[in-house]
Amino acid sequence: MVSKEDIEHVAKLMRIDIDDSNEYFERVQKVLSYFDILDKANIEGEDIPVQQVMIDDLREDKYEKFNDSLIQQLKNYRGSYVKAPKMN
Amino acid sequence: MNLGISAIEYIHGIKNGTITAEEFVAKTIEHIKKVEPKLHAFLSLNDNAIQDARNIDKKIKSGQKIGALYGMPVSIKDNICIKGGKTTCASKMLENYTAPYTATVVSKLQEQDATIIGKTNLDEFAMGVATEFSAFGPSKNPWNTDYVPGGSSGGSAVSVAGLESILSLGSDTGGSVRNPASFCSIVGLKPTYGLVSRYGLVSYANSIEQIGPMGRRVEDVALLLNCIAGKDIHDPTTIDNKSQDYLSGIDAGISGKKIGIIKEMSSGAGLDKTVESVFRNSVSSFEKLGAKIDEVSLDMVEYTVATYYVLTTAEAGSNLSRYDNLRYGYDLDAEGYEYKSYISKARRNFGPEVTRRMILGGFVPSAGFAGRYLLKALKVKSKLKKQIQEAFSKFDYIISPTVPVLPFKFGEKIDDPLAMYLADINTVTANLTGIPAISIPYEIRNGLPVGIQIHANSLQEKSLLQAAYALQSTTKLPEVPL
Repeated sequence: MVSKEDIEHVAKLMRIDIDDSNEYFERVQKVLSYFDILDKANIEGEDIPVQQVMIDDLREDKYEKFNDSLIQQLKNYRGSYVKAPKMN
Repeated sequence: MNLGISAIEYIHGIKNGTITAEEFVAKTIEHIKKVEPKLHAFLSLNDNAIQDARNIDKKIKSGQKIGALYGMPVSIKDNICIKGGKTTCASKMLENYTAPYTATVVSKLQEQDATIIGKTNLDEFAMGVATEFSAFGPSKNPWNTDYVPGGSSGGSAVSVAGLESILSLGSDTGGSVRNPASFCSIVGLKPTYGLVSRYGLVSYANSIEQIGPMGRRVEDVALLLNCIAGKDIHDPTTIDNKSQDYLSGIDAGISGKKIGIIKEMSSGAGLDKTVESVFRNSVSSFEKLGAKIDEVSLDMVEYTVATYYVLTTAEAGSNLSRYDNLRYGYDLDAEGYEYKSYISKARRNFGPEVTRRMILGGFVPSAGFAGRYLLKALKVKSKLKKQIQEAFSKFDYIISPTVPVLPFKFGEKIDDPLAMYLADINTVTANLTGIPAISIPYEIRNGLPVGIQIHANSLQEKSLLQAAYALQSTTKLPEVPL
C-alpha cells in the first residue's frame, strides 16, 4: 500500500504545494489502489509497444530564428533571456 | 432564419442566395448573447466574426474561388491555438496566455473559409468528463441545465447542440469528443491516431490524443474531417490520407456488413438500464439496415480504464512540467524567490484534478512503481491492440453505447474521481488502440440524450461515417428545448 509519506514525497518532487494533503492522499490512494486491477490482467509474454517515427519524417535539423512573440509575452525577461529565481 | 440547419443545408443556402454568411453569423452571435448566460459554452468570442463573414461574402459575390465551408460558424476548443488570441485551456495558469502561432487545423479551416466564432469551454487541460473542472465555471447541458454536458470538450458540444455554432473542433484523449457528443445529442468523431495534425493543440497525452470534428449531423462531421485531415510537416505522427473524400458516397448503406457487439461494453453491472435499452433499439436498427450482428469479447477492456489513467497521467505529469511560471504562467516576479518554491507557488494555479493527475503522473513511472503500474499498462495496451485486430478480422464495425451512464447532475461525481474515471470505460479503447470511433445521437429518454458508438479499423473513417449515416437515418430526434 502506498503511504501518505510516499504521496507527499512525489508531490514535492513534482514541485507541487498541497494545502490539504489529507484530501489528496485519500483520493490519490483510492485511484492507485484501483490501478492494482492490472495485477489480474493476463499479459504474460506481451511486449512493451513502441511507436516508430521514420527519420525521414522528422523536420530538417536546422537553425531557425527564435520567434520573438514567444518571449514578448513573458513577464520576466531581459533581451532574449528569461529571468529566473536563484538555484540553490 | 433557422440556426439549426446542417452544414450541408447552410452551403445550399449560400449557393442559392437565400442566406449570406454575414447574416447567418450575425444572427448566430445574437443567439449566443441570448443563451450564453444559461449555457456558458464559450470562454471567448471572436470580435471580428461578422467582419470575417462579410469578407467571405465579398469573395463569393466577386466569383473568387471559395473554400468548402462558405463562411459558416465553427467553434474551437480552447486548448487549440489561434495566433494572437487567448488559449486558456480553462486554467488559471494560462488565463493571460496569448498563442504565438496558429494550430494546423485552424489554418486549414481558415483556408476553407470558415468563420471562427469563438473558443469553447473545457475541463482544465482537457482532464475531466463534465466541464466541472473548468477554472471559469462549467458549461450546462442544453437539454437540461441541471445536468453536465459531458467533457472534456463540453463547451464545443454545447455550442453545437445549443445552435451557437454549426460545427466545432474538440480534442479526444479518452473520449473527450464522444462523451460530450453523447451527453448533448450531437455527432462526435475521434479520428485514427495520426489522421489529424496535433500541431497547436496543447498537449495532455501525446501518444493517444487526437483533434476531432463535432456537428449535429454525420454528413457535417464528414465535411469537417475533409477539411482537417492529412499530413502536416509540423506533426511527424501524421499520415498522408491522399485527400480522401469522406463525404462522397456517405449514403452507401451497410447492407451485408458485419457488426460485433462488444460484450464488455454492452452488458454488466456498470451499464445503466436505460442506456442498455436504447442500445438494444439501435441493434435492431442495424439489423433492419441489413447488417449481420454477432457478439465479440475483448477481455482486456476490463483493464482499460486503469491502463488509460496510468499512461495519461504519466504523459500529463511530463507535459505539465512546462508550467513553471517562467515560460508560461502569471505575473510573479522572480525576485526574492528560490527556484523550487517559486515553481511550487506557480503550480498552485492548477485546479484539484490537474494537481491530482500530476501527482499520479509522478508516481506511476517512478523507479519504485513503474513495474507495478506503467509497464503493466503498456502490456495491456499491446494485448488490447491484438484483440482489436482479431475482432476486425471478423467484423467491419464493433459497437457499444458511447457512455455506460446517462448524463449526470452537477456535483454528482466531482468528489469521487474513480466514479468519474469509470464513465470512460467505453471510450478509452479507441484511444489506446489508435482506431477511429464515432458517437451518434440515438434517442432522448426522459429528456436526456443517449449516444451509440461505432468503431472501425484504423483509417477506415469513410466506411465508419457510412455506418454512422445509416444509423442516423433510422432516428427521429426532438428539437433541443432552448
